[in-house]
Amino acid sequence: MKLLLINNLFQGIWADTGFSNLYWDNGIMIFVGLVLIVLSIKFNLKPILLIPLALGIVIGNIPFMHSTPYPLGIYAEGSILHYLFFGVLKGIYPALIFLGLGAMVDLSPMIANPKLIILGAAAQVGILVTFLGAIILGFPVAHSASIAIIGAADGNTAIFLTSQLAAGLGNLPEAAKVQGLIGPVAIAAYLYMALVPVIQPPIMKLLTTKKERLIRMKPQRTVSRNEKIAFPLVFLLLTTFVAPAALPLLGMFFFGNILKESGLTKQLAGTVSTVLIDIVVILIGITVGASTQADVFLKWESILIFVLGALSFMVATAGGIMFAKVMNIFLKKENQINPLIGAAGVAAVPDSARIAHEMGQKEDSTNHLISHAMAPNIAGIIGSAVTAGLFLAFIL
Amino acid sequence: MRTLSIVFDPSLIGSQTLILSILGYCIVLLTLSAMAYFMVRFHSFRDYMRTKKLKKETTQAKAAPVKVVMTGEENAAIAAALYLFFSELHDQEKYVMTIKKVSRTYSPWSSKFYNIWNNMKYW
Repeated sequence: MKLLLINNLFQGIWADTGFSNLYWDNGIMIFVGLVLIVLSIKFNLKPILLIPLALGIVIGNIPFMHSTPYPLGIYAEGSILHYLFFGVLKGIYPALIFLGLGAMVDLSPMIANPKLIILGAAAQVGILVTFLGAIILGFPVAHSASIAIIGAADGNTAIFLTSQLAAGLGNLPEAAKVQGLIGPVAIAAYLYMALVPVIQPPIMKLLTTKKERLIRMKPQRTVSRNEKIAFPLVFLLLTTFVAPAALPLLGMFFFGNILKESGLTKQLAGTVSTVLIDIVVILIGITVGASTQADVFLKWESILIFVLGALSFMVATAGGIMFAKVMNIFLKKENQINPLIGAAGVAAVPDSARIAHEMGQKEDSTNHLISHAMAPNIAGIIGSAVTAGLFLAFIL
Repeated sequence: MRTLSIVFDPSLIGSQTLILSILGYCIVLLTLSAMAYFMVRFHSFRDYMRTKKLKKETTQAKAAPVKVVMTGEENAAIAAALYLFFSELHDQEKYVMTIKKVSRTYSPWSSKFYNIWNNMKYW
């Protein structure tokens, strides 16, 4: 009798462990998470984003008994992870990240050379092409929009759009499906953000000649403080009037920028651009990673999302470069644009601008493109947020 | 997962979706172009105002020319400064870099070890 009791006790303990609940798909996801951690550390692939994300993948795939009396998984209502995931599901984290981003970036390159803003819009062509491509591949319209926004290479916009689409669809069965896309879409967007140094340079090299890569751009003029304060306000009004649905992103972005540029709220700007953004990046990384629970994530759909996301990102890069080349036809020789900075039109800030600069430096070490490349880069953030707003307005 | 069914049907893009997509893209392009246009116009306007102000000031200056009177001492000082400047000209620099060694006396207040140890306490 005693032996039986001990046996039952051990069986109960065993049934509760991860070993007894382990399925091959959990194993694959844990392996993927571990590989991402190693890659991120070894090759310095945006570790600030990729390490929380990859560790989240590992945490989210630790097998456990689903019939526990206490909620445990990220999708189990009432669990701690679920509460942390709330900020993703409701689009709170992306808005806070945009606030920090606004307080970090300097709009001067954009104000000094306004024509570079158009490159940010040109890069959005990747989103358009992928949106149509996803529909052709049988994805519903809301899904296609979420997938296409990966082309902006901005995980925050992707999370914002997907969560808002899911919220907007209300109690329809479609809403749960769109919500399930948050994990794959965000992972793809963050991954491509980390892979900017791998994906963009071959496309940049392929689409430009050596002569074009050597183009030196006119040094930028100094931007006055008044301009730095006035223009964010004008941009805020203009963009949010066009796409009010993007207000949480754009409002926060320009709010952060005003905090920085006013010069009188340095303490607030400092907090949002350092402490707050770091906290939110930790929370968004770990929860989005944990949302890739194998039973929800490991589907053929996810692989298709990754393929389409990569396509979107590549087309966006190419779109920016080609548009810069077209612009050069109409510009005077002294105002020519180095087409490399067109690739910075995707919203991966500041990685794509840095890559454009590095590519330019490889050809001519005295050619500094970083400040020029920041203009389309920031325009890319604004453009992708406007695109997300328009998707919301058109679809819902 | 666990079945793979990939559809490829261009007819799934309805005419309405296509129009809305292109329209959406055009709106983004126009919005950002409007931002650029606004800034360009603003810069032109600012330059115009500056030129106008400068012209006004020049006209006023021309209308009442100020007679510049320079004393002999001032002329001598300028001449001396110019002489010193041109006599100091080098044709070529040496291109030799020297490193100035700075030694600091040890103090526990500037010690790296103590600082790291103190920070550790808050972890």
